[in-house]
Amino acid sequence: MAYLIHLLILFAIYGILGLSLNLVMGYTGLLSVTHGAFFGIGAYATAILMTHAGLNFFVALIVGLVLSGVVSFIIGAILSRLSGDYFVLGTVGLNYLIVTVLINWSDLTRGPLGIAGIHKPHFFGLSFSDTPAFLVLSLIFLALTFLVARFVVNSSFGRALKAIREDQKALQVFGYNIFSYKLAIFTISGALAAIAGALFASYITFINPASFDVMQSVFILAVVVLGGLGSLRGSLLGALLLVIIPELLRFVGFPSEIAAQTRQAIYGLLLVVLMLYRPQGLIGEYKL
Amino acid sequence: MFSIQTKNLKKHFDGVYAVDDLSIKIETGQITSIIGPNGSGKTTLINTLSGLLEIDGGLVVIEESEKLSKITPHEIPSFGITRTFQNIHLFEQMTILDNILVVLTDRQVFRAIFETHQTFHLKIAEEVLTRVGLWEKRGQLAVNLSYGQRKLLEIARALAMDAKIYLLDEPFAGLFPEMVKIISGIIKELKQESKTVILIEHDMGLIRELSDYVFVLDSGKLLAEGKPSEVLAKREVIEAYLGE
Amino acid sequence: MNIIPQIVANSLIAGSIYALIALGFNLVYGATRFVNMVPGALAAIGGYTVFFLFNRLGLNIYFSVIAGVVVAGFFGYLSDRLVFRKLRSHKASNLVSFVASLGIFTMLQALISILFTSQFQSVLSVTENPKTYQILGATFTWVQGLIFITSIAAFVSLALILKKTSFGKAVRAVSDDEEVSKIIGINTNRLISWIFFIGSCLIGLSGIFIGFDIGINPTMGLFIILEGATASIIGGIGNVYGGFLGAFLLGFVENFGILKIPGEWKPAIAFGLLILFLIFKPEGIMNKKK
Repeated sequence: MAYLIHLLILFAIYGILGLSLNLVMGYTGLLSVTHGAFFGIGAYATAILMTHAGLNFFVALIVGLVLSGVVSFIIGAILSRLSGDYFVLGTVGLNYLIVTVLINWSDLTRGPLGIAGIHKPHFFGLSFSDTPAFLVLSLIFLALTFLVARFVVNSSFGRALKAIREDQKALQVFGYNIFSYKLAIFTISGALAAIAGALFASYITFINPASFDVMQSVFILAVVVLGGLGSLRGSLLGALLLVIIPELLRFVGFPSEIAAQTRQAIYGLLLVVLMLYRPQGLIGEYKL
Repeated sequence: MFSIQTKNLKKHFDGVYAVDDLSIKIETGQITSIIGPNGSGKTTLINTLSGLLEIDGGLVVIEESEKLSKITPHEIPSFGITRTFQNIHLFEQMTILDNILVVLTDRQVFRAIFETHQTFHLKIAEEVLTRVGLWEKRGQLAVNLSYGQRKLLEIARALAMDAKIYLLDEPFAGLFPEMVKIISGIIKELKQESKTVILIEHDMGLIRELSDYVFVLDSGKLLAEGKPSEVLAKREVIEAYLGE
Repeated sequence: MNIIPQIVANSLIAGSIYALIALGFNLVYGATRFVNMVPGALAAIGGYTVFFLFNRLGLNIYFSVIAGVVVAGFFGYLSDRLVFRKLRSHKASNLVSFVASLGIFTMLQALISILFTSQFQSVLSVTENPKTYQILGATFTWVQGLIFITSIAAFVSLALILKKTSFGKAVRAVSDDEEVSKIIGINTNRLISWIFFIGSCLIGLSGIFIGFDIGINPTMGLFIILEGATASIIGGIGNVYGGFLGAFLLGFVENFGILKIPGEWKPAIAFGLLILFLIFKPEGIMNKKK
């Protein structure tokens, strides 16, 4: 049972990440390999504020969310000037850069050692320190993220995002400032990813830079691509499958280091197979 | 009254001038055709006027008041300009209705987030899609339409903009006669509504039928201008078309 | 003591390794026109092949290096035959190809970790090559000298092949326009597979050299692909000559940069340069503006 709850919490965290990346990738058509970094900014902001400043989880989460929004705004301002291959490379490079910062800014982040001893959330005497309670909290955040994402994609703004994905050159002459749209969705998406980061930090109670590297971004990308680009339910499905599938390896009895690597090999293979045979993903509405 | 004037307009690619020191004046409320052989700079002119290409020299004057040496594409609706594309640019993996609604709803980011389309948006969409006969198909994805229907959707999208100046880049190319009829009908209606239409076209019959005035371009330069019957009779125009 | 000559030497050595990466990257990019992550993993494959044959099995070093180059080339060829050729026939967008390459990259990286653990390994121990040389006040090891000479030789021979041979003409034709080269009767699929092989050999060699110079670990590929792409973009993406130039420029900027900035921030220097070029001069030094 505890094991099942653990998997469901991971599902909630990756569901949030998948939903937020899908806004950028599936709806706006910007292939981004930098979501692991936004995830990390949320996690680090929460961890630092909770351990150093002794802030409450929820306060730390909100600060982390704003901070990640600001960082993604700046990153978005750089990336929105790029297109196609250059954009993709830019996202990979930025993720790499942010991990470099996390590793080397040791005064703040404790470098490669990471930050330990992060507390579980408390809220007016309500404690989420046991895992079932934490699961409920995670699912609430997942639901909130889903609602925000749905609100965004169903709005006029969301329709314009899809039009950017389809033909940004044409959309401009109908009066759209593409740059500000990309910037806005990047900011929203980065802020949402920070929620997942906060949950992750306080659930695992320990974070280090390696958790937020480019491979993490590839994993989040796999969640979105597997479930389907441009489908919010798809991202939930993708998160569920990608959290469960590798766990099957556990029953085969692989040693833990090899299991972790095998998991990566499986994501990789999955991406290749999807691109070859089903680039729109399982229930996607949009082909890259 | 002139809706658009170009003054010594220049646009070059790697030093080759596609629009070369071009000065033309387009009368408001008329249908003006721009003709010329392939590569004469017609589409480059339209792309420059709609901000998709940077101006390399000279000016564009709109409504005799806005003097522009730099045009950003997203500004052009504020000058009352809209356009269609020769090589169709639709929002392919979106429904026909969404292709129209997207040019109707709020452009400002923050307002757009908190807005969904309203009944009056739908009403305009219904009106323009009915005009081109696509309202019944509104739920289909644009990518699944036939070539002719795609051309019609481009026209409908431009109509939805309710602009003052319509830049139509080869709207008839490759169409069956019945669709040509629908579009030429729409262009005539636009004139009745005192809109300005700038038309790039190759079919001499249609040019005679529709245009009030014709500019002939060759290698980015103005070769001739005047009423269609006069211009099309000129020897240099015929020569330019037949390639010496 | 004047440290400038040493920094120049370090820049040239780093530049030679980047040059090999950029040559391979640009060759493949020129023919396929999408950002391919696979070469990063191939560098690691080259390095690990040498590690396995030389350090583990104790085989001859020259044989190990040649084997490492060929194995990397073979994996590159394989990635094209099994995946990218199919994607080309589907007329897949370059984003699809990129994601597929990311998948292959992830897979290969994980496989290397499974086979060799994710530990850092050094390929040659220092005691085995104690010999150092001094020129104009700069000290370097014979391996570093070899790296520099090999990189120049690889560039010159590649440039000659591209200029003089019919193979080179076909490569340039494909890089200019795949459709046209099909029409004039070039078997583009076979040619592109060959380009993958040659490009991957070069990248594999760079991985081996990094192994000699610093050491290897399974995740080295990401750094390599970013450095290679940065060098290529600085020089002009898809332009073999530009990439070579860009590589040395990158080597110099990084090594002179760490005079002012602590060494562990080196990746940040490369990346800062990449972003500057992406924004202000995306066509690079050697390519014409689009």
